[in-house]
Amino acid sequence: MKRRTFLGGAMAVAVVGHGSSAFAQQPPIKIGMSMPQTGGLAGGGKASLLGIEIWRDDVNAKGGLLGRKVELVVYDDKSSASETPAIYAKLVDVDKVDLLFAPYATVPTAPIMPFVKQRGLLLMGNFSFQVNSKVGHDMWFNNAPWGPADSWAASFLDLAQKAGGKNMALLTADQEFAQNLALTARDVAKKRNIPVVFDQVYPPNTVEFSSIIRALNAAKPDIVYVASYPPDSAGILRAVNEIGVGDNVKIFGGGMVGLQFAAVMSNLGSLLNGVVNYNTWLPEKSMYFEGTKEFFDKYTKRAIEAKVDPLGYYLAPFGYAMGQMIEAAVNSTKSLDQKGIAKYLRENEHKTIVGPIAFAADGERKETATLQAQFRGVKDKDIEQFRSPGKQVILFPEKLKTGELISPFEAARK
Amino acid sequence: MTGHRNSIIFWGGVAVFLVAVLTMTQIVRNEYPFFAGYVILQFIALAVAWSILGGYAGYVNFGTNAFFGVGVYTAVALFKATGAPLVVQIAAAAVVGMTLGFGVGLLTLRMRGIFFSIATIALAIIIETFVMNWRFVGGAAGIQIQRPPVMAPFDSYVKMLFFVQAILAVTAISIARYIQNSKVGRGLQALRDDELAAECTGVPTLKLKLIACMISGALISAAGAPAAMYLQYADPFSAFNLTYSVSALAMALIGGTAHWIGPVLGAILLGSTQQFLAVTISSEVNVLVLGIMLVLFVVGAPKGIIGLLRPRYRLRAGGKP
Repeated sequence: MKRRTFLGGAMAVAVVGHGSSAFAQQPPIKIGMSMPQTGGLAGGGKASLLGIEIWRDDVNAKGGLLGRKVELVVYDDKSSASETPAIYAKLVDVDKVDLLFAPYATVPTAPIMPFVKQRGLLLMGNFSFQVNSKVGHDMWFNNAPWGPADSWAASFLDLAQKAGGKNMALLTADQEFAQNLALTARDVAKKRNIPVVFDQVYPPNTVEFSSIIRALNAAKPDIVYVASYPPDSAGILRAVNEIGVGDNVKIFGGGMVGLQFAAVMSNLGSLLNGVVNYNTWLPEKSMYFEGTKEFFDKYTKRAIEAKVDPLGYYLAPFGYAMGQMIEAAVNSTKSLDQKGIAKYLRENEHKTIVGPIAFAADGERKETATLQAQFRGVKDKDIEQFRSPGKQVILFPEKLKTGELISPFEAARK
Repeated sequence: MTGHRNSIIFWGGVAVFLVAVLTMTQIVRNEYPFFAGYVILQFIALAVAWSILGGYAGYVNFGTNAFFGVGVYTAVALFKATGAPLVVQIAAAAVVGMTLGFGVGLLTLRMRGIFFSIATIALAIIIETFVMNWRFVGGAAGIQIQRPPVMAPFDSYVKMLFFVQAILAVTAISIARYIQNSKVGRGLQALRDDELAAECTGVPTLKLKLIACMISGALISAAGAPAAMYLQYADPFSAFNLTYSVSALAMALIGGTAHWIGPVLGAILLGSTQQFLAVTISSEVNVLVLGIMLVLFVVGAPKGIIGLLRPRYRLRAGGKP
């Protein structure tokens, strides 16, 4: 009996869900994607998906695209590379979607790059890193602000050199993203004749960093570049808090994943102070564009229900921006022709809630918009503090800058 | 006489299956069935290969992912170094897998039961760490691979891989069937029931265990080799994913380990359910459904599907009473 009631309820919901008749005449425009909803990347994947869903609802409220309703077809790729080829084949060959979005992150995206290239399909990238560099697909556009591969390390080393840094220590996790960052950091350091005095790669899931931090201190570096993942980012900052890194360190951080997520940030609290780290969006006054505030008003409400990152700065607005770019391209070209859309995306600058976006030939940003920001005056156990400006002061890029670097690192920690 | 008739039916079935697969690659235009079918065939090969050691000999190998990853990376390394064709990649993976199997076989000298299983998990972690630090094959960052042009009569690489994986699955099944009916199979069964007693009655236990480990290892690695070309990407996390171990084991157990058909049925059931759920329910629910399925089988059918279908297997299935 209970089961019957449940089924009845589910059917009723389904019927009501399909009831809206505003778009009844034409079939919906289907946008297909996989998204990590379980596994290691699930936290980010769900926040990103919420951003895309908010865009879908906004565009449908405005009357859809080409007068047709926009519908998302989303499957879970379990954060794994081995799931995505079959999923994208299903999206294209069975579901016959009109447009494709990539899943969040590099690993699930990498196997579908050759597939979309062979089929000549447009793919909107979602925060993967240099996934098109070897494939060379001309219909790939990444929503992430990374820009040219070496800009990430270059911007951090710019700040470091201005603060008087002369030699560098590298501390990196033995995983895909961190190793990519480490490679470019070594290259940039070599070009600029910055000697690398300490270069330590640690296995993933390391929790105890005190011996590594002591060894790092012994090398007396001026610049400490860290590329780490959420659990180890926390471990490293705890060890630094206990042992210290000495007055000679001018700048500390760079590529620490995790310090963008509300849970990790509120957990670490005052340990974050002084760290200079990459970010994608921050609630600083230079970061508000048309629609940004409205987006976060909606996100903040829906994040509670969707049980995702309550702040959602890192990924969600870029998911929305990805939709905005498609919206602009489809409306301008007045068609779903993927070649036409790709041409439009390549040749124009696009206004989005994360600022103007222009693409280089490889489908990455022409110029990097990856922020380097310094944590200041962070208190313990308070998520809400991160919503106000001044907690993460933007040092790079120049046109978004909201403050100057406080150096050395020990002075900035106070 | 019945044995002879069984053989005719089996080989006839194999021929019909392969012809059907080949015809399908020529007729069906939609590529999705080949993507999904490839994964199911791969799991059939893995589950059957796993059960040669885990089912017949009762040595529970948790390191399927180690052998699988070795297969993937042998193919990657060989392809990157020499551009070797797919057949050579698979053959090389089988040889490397067999060598690794020999090493694992030697472990059984000192370790049995749960300790053997733990050692095989450790093996996977050691090899994964090694690959992570091997820059030639991309290290921790992974590596993207460009497929060579497809060979006739196939018009797409995935269709060809589907056919190749079908051959690998059939090979695994034929070998498992042969072992089951041979002296080796009876010896393995004896040592599974009581290794000491088997040794005392003259069963060459070490030799048999080594043979089982080597064959099982070679087949798992061979089944893993085409994965590099299927994904056109390899990274240590995906290649050495524990899912392969858990799935192979679960499929063999759900199907039943006493007969070669057990793992095949288990792999078809679980593999297609996984593929189906991945594109339907698609959330945490699909992980939950698989978990519930496992629990139901463990409670309701401890000897697997073949235990339910053929009561006479109940006595032989699953090892010690």
